[in-house]
Amino acid sequence: MSKVVKFPDRAPPLPEGWQADDMQKVIAACSSAVAVGEASTWEIGVTELGDPQVYLMGSPPDYNCILCISRVGRRFVIEDGEGHVLVEQDSPRQLAEQALTALRRRKAALLAKVAVAWHAFREAFEEKTEALTGETMEALVHLAPQLAALA
Amino acid sequence: MQIARAEPQSKVLRKQAGAWLKVLRARAGLSQIQLAEVLGFKYYTFVSQVENGFGRVPIESMEAWARALGAEPSGFARHLLSYYEPELHRLLFKGK
Repeated sequence: MSKVVKFPDRAPPLPEGWQADDMQKVIAACSSAVAVGEASTWEIGVTELGDPQVYLMGSPPDYNCILCISRVGRRFVIEDGEGHVLVEQDSPRQLAEQALTALRRRKAALLAKVAVAWHAFREAFEEKTEALTGETMEALVHLAPQLAALA
Repeated sequence: MQIARAEPQSKVLRKQAGAWLKVLRARAGLSQIQLAEVLGFKYYTFVSQVENGFGRVPIESMEAWARALGAEPSGFARHLLSYYEPELHRLLFKGK
């Protein structure tokens, strides 16, 4: 009896309504995000109705989902890991760019939050920390509104 | 030689949380689309994201998820915390 496992002759068929070309564009978008360090990895899943989803995962140890790209009918939807819809896109051609833009916005939003928190900290403890943080704070105070506008 | 690569614990626990939520939804007799409608989402994809173990139920909407799934909110949140933040759950509820 042979112990050689037979592999399938070809890749499993994609769910109805999801073109191989579309999937390649989505994966290309995710791969480039991983390559530039904006995500640690990506994984593929499927909804109850068979709509594929690609998940971009953040950094270890939590590997939280930072972006989820789904196709619903003929529309691509990009959501963050908390269910906020970031992009709705009918054209897969622009998807890679949209995904990267969404990641950059997320990064800018995080930086803005850090800057604002730091500003609040400084106001609360200004007298004690002024000597230590003077130069850094000046830069952050100028940066925070710009980052917040980007977010 | 076979090298086993263990999944990080946080990913494993999130997948367990997703499976638990899926069971609750099935018990409530809801599809992913129906649950998304009850929760006020434009798309049902986030429900799938959470059930597949990639996303997390946000803290601010845990009560809404609990009620939609016919669960008691406090127990629901506590159970989800055991998956999402196991160390915090241990400190809060197990006293060790």
